[in-house]
Amino acid sequence: MYKVKIVVVCGSGVAMAMHAAYKLREYLEKEKLFTHIDGCGNNELPGKITAYDIVVSNAQVTVKTDKPIFSAIPLITGVGEKELVEKIIVKVREIQEEKNND
Amino acid sequence: MGNINFNDENMNQDELSIEEHLILVKEKATSREEIIRKLGSMLFKNGYVKDTYTQAVLDREIEYPTGLQARVTGVAIPHTDTEHVLKPAVAIATLDDPVLFNGMGMPDTKVKVDIILMLAIHDPKLVVSTLRKVIFILEDDKALKNMGLAKTKLEIKSIMINHIHSFANK
Repeated sequence: MYKVKIVVVCGSGVAMAMHAAYKLREYLEKEKLFTHIDGCGNNELPGKITAYDIVVSNAQVTVKTDKPIFSAIPLITGVGEKELVEKIIVKVREIQEEKNND
Repeated sequence: MGNINFNDENMNQDELSIEEHLILVKEKATSREEIIRKLGSMLFKNGYVKDTYTQAVLDREIEYPTGLQARVTGVAIPHTDTEHVLKPAVAIATLDDPVLFNGMGMPDTKVKVDIILMLAIHDPKLVVSTLRKVIFILEDDKALKNMGLAKTKLEIKSIMINHIHSFANK
């Protein structure tokens, strides 16, 4: 089974990425999805992005990439959180299927 | 009111301080800069941050704005890099009239902010557990609403401490 790698990004990596990453991990574990989640600061993203399948960010992502990007804000305010998590779950399953068929 | 265990005597250097001397109630401010400066000077005077902290927060707010629209009100969580911080704390202000912050992740949108939680974090790993509970107040409609209505510093501190403690029972 392919482990989908997700990076949660915030402005400086001080606090918010960690908070959002913890929340997302709880949701994905509940779905029994095989994922790995890291947090990082926006300035570290260009060097790290290739290692991940999905980006969840509360800063504007300026790196050029074709990877799926989601906003982390709903994980911080709780507003629109369920919808966001559902979308991420769909994407995780999609990537898993793709990679398993490779 | 629940128990408040954040007294100075038993305060761990690594524990996130939430103290009355770091709280402003129904403060008058006309801009985000003004309220950030007020909270920053309280943190500095009480020895939580270096003299570089406030300017660093203001600069960061331009690059990475922190306005967040919660269900009941607008909240901002200004903060900056760990190098400007000496001891971890959260300074809290409620405003008489809201000021505009740019939206986190959406710098082109404005958020009308009534509550400011200014974070002084020296090592996120050490305080992550309490810090997360502080941030969870954005989703606690009742606590957030009560904080906006609070008339004293003690009330605001109690609301935050009770909110934090409510997780221990879950």
